[in-house]
Amino acid sequence: MRSIIYYVREFLRPEWLKKFFFVKTAPLVTPPYFKGYPTRTEKECTGCFTCMMICPAPEAIAVLRRKERWEPEVYPGHCIRCGLCVEACPEGVLSSGRVMEVAGRDATAFWHSYHLEVDESLCMRCGNCCVACPINRQIDPRLAGTGTSTSDDVIMRVKGGRVQILHEEKCTGCKTCETQCPSGAMRVARMVEGVQFLDGVGS
Amino acid sequence: MKKTVDVSIPLGPMHPCWKEPVRLKCETAGERVLHTEVELGYMKKGIERIMRGRPWQEVMFLAERVCGICSVVHNMVFIEAMEGISDIAVPPRAAYLRVVANELDRIASHLIANFSYCYTIEHETLAMYLLNTRETVLDNLERLTGSRINTAYMIPGGVRFDLLPEDAAVMLADLAKVEDELKRYVRIFETGPLIGLRSRGIGCMSRVDAIRAHTVGPTARASGVEDCDLRLRHPTYRALDFEQVTRTEGDNFARVMVRFQEVFQSIDLIRRCVDTLPAGRIRGGGLCRAGEISYSGEAPRGELTYTIKTDDFGRVVDIAIRTPSIMNIEACAHYMVADAASIADVTSTFISSDPCIACNER
Amino acid sequence: MSILQSIKNAVRSRSIHVSYIDVGSCNGCDIEVLACLAPRYDIEQYGIYVHNNPREADILLVIGSVTPQWVDKLRSIWDKIPEPKAAVAIGNCPISGCVYARKGSLTTPPVKNYIPIAAEVPGCPPRPTEILSAILSVAPLIFKDYEEKQS
Repeated sequence: MRSIIYYVREFLRPEWLKKFFFVKTAPLVTPPYFKGYPTRTEKECTGCFTCMMICPAPEAIAVLRRKERWEPEVYPGHCIRCGLCVEACPEGVLSSGRVMEVAGRDATAFWHSYHLEVDESLCMRCGNCCVACPINRQIDPRLAGTGTSTSDDVIMRVKGGRVQILHEEKCTGCKTCETQCPSGAMRVARMVEGVQFLDGVGS
Repeated sequence: MKKTVDVSIPLGPMHPCWKEPVRLKCETAGERVLHTEVELGYMKKGIERIMRGRPWQEVMFLAERVCGICSVVHNMVFIEAMEGISDIAVPPRAAYLRVVANELDRIASHLIANFSYCYTIEHETLAMYLLNTRETVLDNLERLTGSRINTAYMIPGGVRFDLLPEDAAVMLADLAKVEDELKRYVRIFETGPLIGLRSRGIGCMSRVDAIRAHTVGPTARASGVEDCDLRLRHPTYRALDFEQVTRTEGDNFARVMVRFQEVFQSIDLIRRCVDTLPAGRIRGGGLCRAGEISYSGEAPRGELTYTIKTDDFGRVVDIAIRTPSIMNIEACAHYMVADAASIADVTSTFISSDPCIACNER
Repeated sequence: MSILQSIKNAVRSRSIHVSYIDVGSCNGCDIEVLACLAPRYDIEQYGIYVHNNPREADILLVIGSVTPQWVDKLRSIWDKIPEPKAAVAIGNCPISGCVYARKGSLTTPPVKNYIPIAAEVPGCPPRPTEILSAILSVAPLIFKDYEEKQS
């Protein structure tokens, strides 16, 4: 008898009755603050590849050259929607959810620096790294096939039988040298730091 | 000596009750289950091997995806370990926001664990109620961090996004609603006679056995083990006057009730955090350096330990993750379901110890 | 006969039995599939019933990137499912391996190499709204004119 009263009391609650007759399931919309796949805005991409450097998922974002313009392209099957590329882009070319406006409001950014190191015991002085580096090619068009160069502005060159790293600060962290090195001697370290510029806007 | 069993029943990798593949081999004599063996290995992806040689911004996402249910706490323990190596200080506002995200994730994880248990007992009504309540909690996590699961909210030196006052007000209103609903559901769970038949006195583990089996987390706290909550040693939680929830019975009922009480405690902690949120910056910067550390934190299932060794530029050289489910599952197989009355008790006891197989074999 | 075929199409698009299989994921997508079952994004109202029995299933939801243990078992479970059948990949893991597709990993994505996949829902994890809209848009098409396509 007690359980019948319990059930009757449960089912005659006004909120249960209201839900039984009038409730609908939630509409299939994504809220605006959800970090969706990054979409391109109208800002112009300069081809600095910072988004590709910071992306943690393999082959998720690629910056392609189409019709005289650079365009970042996100592949949905690979992108994990973390929002790092949106925050890291210096021009604001990508946008996803509220990430861009929140980064602007909080004045946050990611600083990145790259460090190159060569393991002398593994290096065979083939010069692949120097030839493959796209920045080297931009600076010195007459870069030789074995990696030697007469210019002092290149990032690295083969000189005196070893790889000499001259200008580490020009490195953009693309790791082409690391992938082209046949013995795994060349390693690039991508160091990222999350910073905030002014003294906090929260209350 | 030859061992005679009637049947060896495999509760196989695909089973309606569990979401992850694991095999339990139960040796029975008639209806009684004498001995259970757990066979793992269906989820081994080699995450620790992938992590070697990568910088923190890639390892952080791999660490999160060790387990999707407790992903925020993996993020937090990894980042705090990296900060411990490189001596990076966290601004106080960021520390409080980390606690808010951590506790929201803990509520979501405990609700999933209890949903799983109610679904195994075939009380689908209460299970769906709990899952619906979890949606409100995940909404708030989405408002704070931008995504529901695998949030990637914490970075060395602070957090990524700030909490606006209007979002905080919505969060507190939602949590008040969650608390009201949960009080009703806990009353249903406590007073339901069929739930009591299947939970009270089933799968008992005494305090001595719990300590001997090295159980951690709510499974240990339900058996009466004191001082096994690592949040008691974390500076931000100590500033918020954290106290451990303990029960003494050690059966299925106690484990599920410990999780419910921890949900109420988490809601209280979030309220205290939001009310006393200090102003200031949310990121302090800081580069990761070389060093070694072994850091532990409290995941929703117990004690989570990251042992990390880095090189000069912040890349991970060696890493070892010890997740809490490893201990709990073995304790369950050896102590809780030893000599169970039937197979139905084996499934409900196993789920009540909250296994997370993906955590177990990253 | 076209009337019979249109009756079959109508029935098969409105009543789908689903079984899901986790071949080694982080559980995030699993939890989002369970969230689809929750009363908020109710998937059962569309006639889609999620149980876990391959023998009674029409659609198999594949979650996770393939770990070494599942390489042979995935194919055998797929063979157990009676015709008509289709497989849907949920999440980034079965499509490309997500973050696990690096050197040193033990997984062998994509799942397309093991069983034929009819549809994909990308995301890590995909939101329940995205899973639902994908399944609802695919449901009338997956078994449409199944007998005519077989012959």
